[in-house]
Amino acid sequence: MTTITTETPQVAPVMQPGVTFMSLSTRIGDTVLRPQAPLWWWVGFGVSLLLLAVLVVSCTYLFVNGIGVWGVDIPVAWGLAIAEYVWWIALASGGTIVSALFYLTGSPWRSAISRIAESMMLSAVASAGIMPILHLGRPGFFYWLFPYPNVMGVWPQFRSPLLWDFVCIICYILMSVMFYYTGLVPDLATMRDRAPTRVKQIVYGILALGWQGSARQWRNYKITYLIMAAIMAPMVVSVHSVVGLDFAGGVTPGWHSTQFPPYFFFGAILSGLALVIMLTIPLRHAYSLQMVITGYHLNALGKVMLTGSLMLGFAYFWEVFGPYYGSDVAERTMLGGRLTGTYASVYWATVALNITAPQLLWWPAIRRSEWALFLISSGVIIGMWCERFVIVVTSLSRDHVPSEWGSYVPTIWDWGVLVGSIGLFLVIFFVILRLVPIVPLAELRELIAERAPP
Amino acid sequence: MNEARLHGIAGEFEHLDGALGAARQLRDSGFTRVEAYSPYPVEELAEAVGRSGAPIIAISTVAFLGALIGLTGGYFVQYWTAAVDLPVNVGGRPLHSWPAFTVSTFEIGVLCGVAAALLAFLVSSRLPLLYHPIFATDGFERASQDRFFLIVEAADVRFYPERIRAIFERHGAAHVSEVRG
Repeated sequence: MTTITTETPQVAPVMQPGVTFMSLSTRIGDTVLRPQAPLWWWVGFGVSLLLLAVLVVSCTYLFVNGIGVWGVDIPVAWGLAIAEYVWWIALASGGTIVSALFYLTGSPWRSAISRIAESMMLSAVASAGIMPILHLGRPGFFYWLFPYPNVMGVWPQFRSPLLWDFVCIICYILMSVMFYYTGLVPDLATMRDRAPTRVKQIVYGILALGWQGSARQWRNYKITYLIMAAIMAPMVVSVHSVVGLDFAGGVTPGWHSTQFPPYFFFGAILSGLALVIMLTIPLRHAYSLQMVITGYHLNALGKVMLTGSLMLGFAYFWEVFGPYYGSDVAERTMLGGRLTGTYASVYWATVALNITAPQLLWWPAIRRSEWALFLISSGVIIGMWCERFVIVVTSLSRDHVPSEWGSYVPTIWDWGVLVGSIGLFLVIFFVILRLVPIVPLAELRELIAERAPP
Repeated sequence: MNEARLHGIAGEFEHLDGALGAARQLRDSGFTRVEAYSPYPVEELAEAVGRSGAPIIAISTVAFLGALIGLTGGYFVQYWTAAVDLPVNVGGRPLHSWPAFTVSTFEIGVLCGVAAALLAFLVSSRLPLLYHPIFATDGFERASQDRFFLIVEAADVRFYPERIRAIFERHGAAHVSEVRG
């Protein structure tokens, strides 16, 4: 993957000439230190808060009345909440893929967008984390999943894939926060040193932990960051694979397949990259980041997204070929229902948005056009949501015995949680935008120094 | 402020070359208590001030040990709860079903590995730190932005301020100052 993404297009260098250490600090660092947020930030934050209010109302109504307010019932007992859990965790994984995996490959385009990707990951993982809890019949008891000594004398069942998933998510959140913070320390020191007011100096001073940037500290920092990236990369593969195992562990037709772990990870590459693109394009205009996030970055992101789409297409093919070629009647019946039944339109939308539309990225002109990239990425985000819906709902609605067949129609409260979770994601992301430089300054200084030694 | 103990002599450099030259000359002249500060990691600078060798605590070793502890502990918790303290017969499957324990064992192991790496990083870098005399240096706030700083600490046995000042100035230091704090 390194070779296809490091080749430099003549039209777009990895960084525009004329960027200096000082212009980097003033242009990017000071957007955070400015006392007044720009208008677009207030508009975006306001809309996000409205969406978050939808989540608060939906959750309150859900908690008071119970899970019956959703459309879920036996046999389709997993509905939008589980589909969206998978959807959000895939989006979150994309942030780690860009930031950790491409750190290991040494791709120069990774530097400028890694902070956007990691911030996206932290925001998305919050939306993912609430979904399984909302989905519980007794959400107040979610902590029973922790192995803590209790008077009931029971322990969680570690042989269940659902518990593996819980362990994965907890570990992933904790590791992501540590990885994020480690990458942030030198930039927090820059913030501390540029802070115009005493309060900001103290706050950033405490957060920077007293970082001095000594040769000893930089050496330790580089080693630590490399170790963390080398652990985070396989970790993120495991996280989404275990989500796949949640499904593969069941005998439900369409789920009981050994290809599920990699299949889910392919989806994470595609949708994660799509969300990184969707956030990067407006941000580079809003913050005037065209100097450091150039066509080079968009070109590379487009190529990785195309790769993800091809990998996912491979998984889609086997998902259809397996039941067709196998002899399991239930699998074949479910497949027939999936391709032609009630939810067939959602299935074909999945294929069109995730596999067909991204093929446009073969053309360099498409990868250079921000509008095209943005539209294809939005299509992928919607398509990946459809994919999760298809996997969860069509399988459960066509179980082995016809007497177990059923259907699922989301209610307004299902949709409320979807809309609200987008609000939660955006609120956290907008807050991060006001707190930390959205481009890693220290890493870009390395890039500047490589190009023109100071 | 000037009453405070002398911490060392600091030179501020606009260009990396100057800082590198001065650091190398200091090293060749036998100074041992030299530290360099830069806005981004510079390997040559670390070499010039003698910080390129293995750190006192090898961060990778600590991370590995942390992961090992996590793996062992994670596996033990699963084994003990599922096979010893609360044996539940699920369709006659073995109580100590190790393949089912591998996933959580891996996750807890890598979590502890990253946590140990972070801890080792903080300890070996002397962080968090509320105060360091170097922050009293004139203009040190630019060390995190675009300037390079070298300091020879007063604890150095060859600490002759005039000589150090001369070396700094020969290599084009923009500013040389005494650091007290």
